[in-house]
Amino acid sequence: MMSLTNKVKLATLVVALVAGLAAPYFFRPFTVSIFTLAMIFALYAMSIDLMGGFGGLVSLGQAGILSAGAYGVGYMASRVGAPHSQQILVGLVAGLVISAVFALMAMRTSEVYFLMVTLAQGMIVWGIATRSTDLGAENGLRGIVRPPSVAAYWKYYYLCLAVLVVCGGVMWIIVRSPFGLSLRGLKESPTRLQMLGYNPALTKFYIFMLAGFFATISGVLYAYYNQFVSPSNAAFLMSGRGVLMSILGGIGTLVGPVVGAFVIVLVENILSVHLARWPTVLGLLFIFTIMFAREGLVGRLSQLWHRWVGDEREGPPPEANVLMASPTSDGPERAPMTQ
Amino acid sequence: VTAQFFFFQLLNGLSFAALLFFLASGFTLIFGLMRIINLAHGVFYLVGGYVGLTVTLTTGSFWLGLLAAPLAIAMIGLLSERVLLRPIRGQALPEVLLTVGIAFVFADMSLEIWGGDPRSVPLPEYLRGGISLGFVTYPRFRFFVMVCALLVGLGLFWLHSRTRVGAIVRAGVDDREMISALGININRVFAGVFVAGALLAGVAGLIGGGLLSLVPGADTEILLFSLAVVIIGGLGSLPGAVVGSLIVGLADAFGRALLPELSYFTLFAPMALILVLRPHGLLGRA
Repeated sequence: MMSLTNKVKLATLVVALVAGLAAPYFFRPFTVSIFTLAMIFALYAMSIDLMGGFGGLVSLGQAGILSAGAYGVGYMASRVGAPHSQQILVGLVAGLVISAVFALMAMRTSEVYFLMVTLAQGMIVWGIATRSTDLGAENGLRGIVRPPSVAAYWKYYYLCLAVLVVCGGVMWIIVRSPFGLSLRGLKESPTRLQMLGYNPALTKFYIFMLAGFFATISGVLYAYYNQFVSPSNAAFLMSGRGVLMSILGGIGTLVGPVVGAFVIVLVENILSVHLARWPTVLGLLFIFTIMFAREGLVGRLSQLWHRWVGDEREGPPPEANVLMASPTSDGPERAPMTQ
Repeated sequence: VTAQFFFFQLLNGLSFAALLFFLASGFTLIFGLMRIINLAHGVFYLVGGYVGLTVTLTTGSFWLGLLAAPLAIAMIGLLSERVLLRPIRGQALPEVLLTVGIAFVFADMSLEIWGGDPRSVPLPEYLRGGISLGFVTYPRFRFFVMVCALLVGLGLFWLHSRTRVGAIVRAGVDDREMISALGININRVFAGVFVAGALLAGVAGLIGGGLLSLVPGADTEILLFSLAVVIIGGLGSLPGAVVGSLIVGLADAFGRALLPELSYFTLFAPMALILVLRPHGLLGRA
């Protein structure tokens, strides 16, 4: 028998999906392509959340992996002139190779150190993209054309929706699988995880690769969306934006990043008409979210719901959120918990 | 020619290492004590450079600029620590992410105020030109930077290992609760170290404005170099900052000269190697 909470969750998802399917019939083409962008970012933010919210490994360099996918497509399209199948293949391979290299570098670090290493990795991709003439340096790569079957804006919208739903479903399965449990172990106590016979470094490698895979897909979609790639795809701002989407929506919930991505993309597009200083707003939003709304929109809604139903037991424990349970800065590692 | 080339690149590497040390030392001291990484450090550098530039241009004095830059950044650092970081003290991840927000805001504001064109700080007469070492002539200002870094480095080591303030900071690194229990206001120590780090970043900004150029994006670039320094040297270790700065500075200078098409790989390769072999850096504590 399904609990009331689960029924409500399912109903919300169904409504959201129906709204997603119906949207192109009700909105202008411009608005629909904004939604498309939001869905691409949603997938990107979910990939950050998969690692950060569930494994406790917050990456500030995911834009580097997204860019690897995007540049793979861009290079094959504008420099080689290869067919679409090869563009997509090279994009995916580029993203996965970069993920593997970065994962090997980062898998023995954790917490703040992990954050720093991934940030440096992302910035190196940015640095290479800015300098390499093969990749168009500051000008980026033009001449990326969508495959004819999804060239129309509404077809591309449905493609992104489908990819988001499928990838979201796969991530849902991942976090509920035994592997997902080992991720929680990684977040809560790597020492105990090791004692139980798991290899924390290897678990980190796997989750890094999985998250990298989803980020790469979002990068491929992003390249065809803009029909253009540039170094700014790999910038610090881009990585930060993904983390903010994930936190604002609710890190540690898969729906959160989707909500966060829609909020940020919509606000950005509405504000940019009136305001040139969007990164300032993004930064202030970042500060505000961290200081006052760390549970995120979805986290807050879920709290309110559980309070309203009077069902404290079923609510997510506060330490489910990596930003709440963040170990104190006292000492490099949290003292083992006593029962 | 080869020896000349070698010395020239050696000096390039050493002077860049000197600049990096100003940033990495603050970075590492803040981490050692507070267990956080200040990702606004790159922006502190850039804004420090811009403030110094404006003061130098309006007063005509390089030295007033060199005074104003660290003071302005120290103020920004103090405000950030007091108003933003202190309320969420003790939660490493949120604290670090908060500094990302600070970085975005200040980077964007400096673009608004100082524009997007590269600027550089005008140097006084006696710091311009070169010094001849017989077989190679090298810019005087770069020697000045190396001497400054050496003096600041020696000063920091002396402060850290020989004075009461240093003893408090070292004790704070080892056991924060214990030194609070001994009647020391740990919040003040935190603020002091954070401000000192910001101060050094401000100095670095003005120096960087004379050495390189001030331009939007220079903040993230210098942050990347500083991250590489502490990843290689070991986060939280002052000697690590020295070693890391030297490695990164020299690798960058020789890399640029010998393998210009592989720029950034000279940064990436040592970092990757260290992370695989010694995840906590050469001199870092696990």
